[in-house]
Amino acid sequence: MKFSFFHLMPYPYLPDDFDTAYESTSLTYPNANFDPALGASLYARYLDELEYADQLGFDGIAVNEHHQSAYGLMPSPNLMAAALTRRTSRARIMVLGNAIGIRGNPLRVAEEIAMLDLMSGGRVDSGFVRGIGWEYFGHSINPTKSRSRFNEAHDLILKAWTSPELFAWYGENYEYRYVNIWPRPVQMPHPPIFIPGAGSTETMKFCAERRYTYMSVYAPTRIVRRWFDGYRQAAADLGYVADPEKIAFSVPIYVADTDEQAHAEGRPAVEWLYHKGLRQTAAMVTPPGYNVAGVAARRPCRGNARVRPELVRGPARPGAGGRRVTGLRGQAAGRALR
Amino acid sequence: MADVVPTEEFIALAGGRVHLLRAGTGEPVLFLHAAGGAAEWLPFHGLLASSGFEVIAPDHPGFGKSDEFPEAEAVDDLVFHYLDVLDALGIDRPHVVGASFGGWIAAELAVYAPHRIGSLTLLSAAGLRLPEHPVTDRFLLPPAKVVTTLFHTPPPASPTATPGAPPDLDAVIAAYREATALARFCWVPFMSDPKLERRLGRITAPTLVVAPSDDRLIPVEHARRYAARIPEASYAEVADCGHAMYVEKPVEFASVVTGFLGARPLSGAGR
Repeated sequence: MKFSFFHLMPYPYLPDDFDTAYESTSLTYPNANFDPALGASLYARYLDELEYADQLGFDGIAVNEHHQSAYGLMPSPNLMAAALTRRTSRARIMVLGNAIGIRGNPLRVAEEIAMLDLMSGGRVDSGFVRGIGWEYFGHSINPTKSRSRFNEAHDLILKAWTSPELFAWYGENYEYRYVNIWPRPVQMPHPPIFIPGAGSTETMKFCAERRYTYMSVYAPTRIVRRWFDGYRQAAADLGYVADPEKIAFSVPIYVADTDEQAHAEGRPAVEWLYHKGLRQTAAMVTPPGYNVAGVAARRPCRGNARVRPELVRGPARPGAGGRRVTGLRGQAAGRALR
Repeated sequence: MADVVPTEEFIALAGGRVHLLRAGTGEPVLFLHAAGGAAEWLPFHGLLASSGFEVIAPDHPGFGKSDEFPEAEAVDDLVFHYLDVLDALGIDRPHVVGASFGGWIAAELAVYAPHRIGSLTLLSAAGLRLPEHPVTDRFLLPPAKVVTTLFHTPPPASPTATPGAPPDLDAVIAAYREATALARFCWVPFMSDPKLERRLGRITAPTLVVAPSDDRLIPVEHARRYAARIPEASYAEVADCGHAMYVEKPVEFASVVTGFLGARPLSGAGR
């Protein structure tokens, strides 16, 4: 089992009237509320935390991509990863991931990950995500093209990394007459790929077919277990046993000497994450075409982030080393297995 | 008079089946529905059909009971789609009446194929890109604000509606399907074809542009711009009415439209 430290880089300084005055931290939350001086301090602190996680011995340090949001201050995860390449030495640098569903130019992603791979000495893991609902509003990308753009960008990036010769690309969404990237990545045949899933059997199959790491988005453990079973089954259907190292479990974790202390200390952070940081309207979560109609209806979203009782009230479980590992904390998530 | 019962038909095209409602006898009127209203026969349609017109109201691709036609991904594809529909129906040159999103399609149709349009009626049509008068983003509209945005005078809540009742799952799925179809055609450029305005001079059919006086979805400046750019277009406003138009004021809208159509018989030599 490996553990990674996943940073979301939130902007936590919301006004006192946030709950009543704003519908979300994202898309329409006025950036007049962003204080650049505080933001600069946050970046310094957050990068320090990621570097410290490397020193502590975490196997990976992870960043992600979000746009126009106080929930996450990383419109470019590759910039953060670039900063980390020079100040860390051992942890995997996990970009989880580039939102290739909303990128206008996936070839740029192939180039940047290749650069990061060289700069980090082959320590980069490359996640690909579709980008979430509000980002299709924010970047004016047609959500009905989300899957098509994701799939095509993925195929193009993989071919750009691995093709030994110049090629042309004519797709539904992208056209390039000359694909011939410099530099090429150092990891062979390409950096390991991580794909997040939230229960879609299509995604499980996609990952199993390519032997990619299947990564859960945060959800109650009993549900995540079903997803992992689905991924293992998809692998079994293809005639192999899924490698436990290719199952990544994302979960907020807070460690303290006692359950009571962990809950008391962690509760405000997890409540901030789910009640404020992830606050959004139903329309922002599921733009038309982002899901297929049946799926969108079966998972009606109430808009505002749901309460996570299993996190704030759940029983503590014995953790590694005899300490208590219990629910919580936005910035810490484990990449685990089995 | 207005309680004309339409017949329901499906016509087969190469890419799928088109569902349509049809009633009345007289000169054909192709009615192109708004983002809402597919497969719905309203009192407004009945008033047209009982005024000496054959009203033909198809559902757009991905709407109502029509198939998806997944290859249709932009409004120009819808133009060719409706030329195929007219050919399949054996109608050479109908009156074309389009509302909101359907009005945009009607305007494009009249630009691409002026010889196929007997007359053109645009009811608060989308389609123009007027950044100084932005169209409300209906995709972000919270459900609680839909009615107040669409109506000048919101109707009283249905006496049969149960507050807080769980939504009808089939209705939720159908609404998401139609929103998905709409997004396919109009997410970006948003609700518009930036080239449309400069092409409107190609329209040769007699044209009526109608706007509700209090349109909170598509500002009335859009209708005024259509009227200014389409050669010799007439312009009318219906007072005390929102973007719901013929749902909010069916008699007034039917009166304006039938008055225009009646004065421009298809046998006439254009305008």
